[in-house]
Amino acid sequence: MTTTSNERSEQLDEAGLAVQNRLALGRQLGTGNIGHAEEDSDGRMRATIRIPEDELVWDPAIIILPHGGELELTLINDDKNTHCAVLPTIGDHLIIWLVNHSKGTATLNLPGPGTYWYGSTTGNDEGRGLTGAIVIGGEVPAEAKLDRPAQPRP
Amino acid sequence: MTDYVDAGQAVRLTSLSAVKGSAPQVTENVNYERILEAGSEPHNWLTYYGTYDGQRYSTLDQINKENVRRLTPAWVFQAGATGMHSGASTYSFEASPLVVDGVMYVSGPEGKVWAIDATTGEELWRFKYPSPYDVSLCCGNVNRGVAVGHGKVYLCTLNAHLIALDATNGEIVFDVVNGDVRAGESGTVAPLLVKDMVIIGSSGGEFGVRGHLDAFDAQTGERRWRCYMIPKPGEPGSETWPADGEAWQRGGGNCWVTPTYDPEQELLFQGTGNPAPDFDGGVREGDNLYTDSVVAVDVNTGEIRWHYQFTPHDLWDYDSTMENLLFDAPDGRKLLAHADKNGYFFVLDRTNGELVRVFPFVDRITWGEITPDGKVTPKVYPDKEGEPVHFWPGPAGGKEWTHMSYSPQTGLIYVPVQEVGATATRRRREFKESIPYWGAGVAVDLEDFYGYVAAIDPLTGEEKWRWRNEYPMCASTLATAGGLVFQGTPTGDFVALDAETGEKLWSFQCGSGHHSSPTPYSVDGRQYIAVPTGWGGWVEGFFPGFLGANAGDALFVFALPED
Repeated sequence: MTTTSNERSEQLDEAGLAVQNRLALGRQLGTGNIGHAEEDSDGRMRATIRIPEDELVWDPAIIILPHGGELELTLINDDKNTHCAVLPTIGDHLIIWLVNHSKGTATLNLPGPGTYWYGSTTGNDEGRGLTGAIVIGGEVPAEAKLDRPAQPRP
Repeated sequence: MTDYVDAGQAVRLTSLSAVKGSAPQVTENVNYERILEAGSEPHNWLTYYGTYDGQRYSTLDQINKENVRRLTPAWVFQAGATGMHSGASTYSFEASPLVVDGVMYVSGPEGKVWAIDATTGEELWRFKYPSPYDVSLCCGNVNRGVAVGHGKVYLCTLNAHLIALDATNGEIVFDVVNGDVRAGESGTVAPLLVKDMVIIGSSGGEFGVRGHLDAFDAQTGERRWRCYMIPKPGEPGSETWPADGEAWQRGGGNCWVTPTYDPEQELLFQGTGNPAPDFDGGVREGDNLYTDSVVAVDVNTGEIRWHYQFTPHDLWDYDSTMENLLFDAPDGRKLLAHADKNGYFFVLDRTNGELVRVFPFVDRITWGEITPDGKVTPKVYPDKEGEPVHFWPGPAGGKEWTHMSYSPQTGLIYVPVQEVGATATRRRREFKESIPYWGAGVAVDLEDFYGYVAAIDPLTGEEKWRWRNEYPMCASTLATAGGLVFQGTPTGDFVALDAETGEKLWSFQCGSGHHSSPTPYSVDGRQYIAVPTGWGGWVEGFFPGFLGANAGDALFVFALPED
């Protein structure tokens, strides 16, 4: 059986994997929406994520950054339950407590290409669906690359 | 709907803990001169091996053969984890803690560094680096330690950065990129401070990178030099690679264990990793310099002065990254000792790389033979596509990266030995950046294994005693002037042996296996032995028979009772 990306989204909905307590107990991780951070002229980035009511998912769950650096993140809890956000940054995790119907901010500084975890660490929010990813694209600086011709990638 | 409740600004997670946030300023005067004489201040452990020569020997003798049976835990530090991180099931606490005047600096998995009160275990400050969880790692989420000096703490990160922290509060001073995560490079080595530089090496040998050793300005992070361990066409050593191919571009030779250093010659002795692909030599005909070698590098320029290759044209994943221990013979000859993955123990003249002596230090060697004059003859290796080949030692070697130690009291070197074989089946594959580039399917033996600590006289090659264990030895030894050798086991026992006889004198069950390097120190006249525990890393390589053993990430510190 083969599946295309578009078909996968439909299949997740049909199977009840993209909602709470239908097929599985929670929502399958990695099934949330994808959003792109906005970049200011000085290179700083901004994004907003929201927790919709009774969905236990970040929206968007995957935040794409064009490069490493500073991200000003706005977090909104539209759920009727309390959650939190633990977020990556250079130096320490950051934490913000998000009571019902609340809004806050976090300033993250992230180093470079790759995928960084964030989530709500209360109860089992992480397992139910409130696990997200910040994905940084781009390349490492030229001076950090190996001295060799360009190589094939997958 | 009412306005949103103001949740405010996110705060540091550490602010919601008892972490103090500051440590005494004890590292500002730790500089090259002090590290050169580190042996004269045995209450501290100023550098990765304790001293530049890599002997891992302490002159502290308060804990000794007569009283070691009374050794008890003084305190325990638990690392823990938050959220999803790379190697979620393969993390291991592999570091060797450093201690300066009562403050311990230690790194754990997942980019963490702690400053800890070395007498109480109180967490003074914490630093957490956010490495991506999808970084390429052959061997788990690990870090082997930090360097301290110039008021700073230096750390390599899993995404191949070098960072410097303010030693008083853990705040970042500089962050430079040393490698390419998209090429499969990473950073796991403990940095070494020499002169006004920080020396670090690359990780990523299983992903077909080009290994390198680098020096950075310790104050600014500016790169001073880079020394590639795979020569480009036309450079010395390039004749050992196919002339018309791409093999050198992916040749391996990484430097993921800290070098030793001879200040008189101003030479770093860097062990280098396997060639890539690990098991498919057909795509890289030749000796493949400078893989599986000790490379003597001029610390001032990064130029290679001499080399000695332990396994030419490696087909068994026999990295030689592990330490090159420096010691002097009674006649004054300056020597270097190296126990290689390939099961042979080498003694070289460290002034020129000349072979002085080579002999086996493990029981079972089937891959090939090395004669007393150093001639290497491969016998069993993956050759035909799809044909399984069994050999000893397995790819983790007769001794892994974990370190041996040398006692000037006994003149013996204490080697942690692994007796584990493996089967490799050659499976050629094309190269793609960030994808493992082994060229074989490998299954390490799940039975017929054991281990021991071997006490070896490096002047004769004689094994004076061995302490045999049911399981392989996968952690570093430590020798002390108390006449003791400390060794952690895969079952979690931390053991003290009589350095003269090998008799077991004491042990303590730490609850998870050992894959780290114990550190001795003293504060206010009380001697301590610190050992990180936590089974993990490349278990499927060095001891898959214990893939089901309990993980952990605790730091135990032992001392004699105060009363």
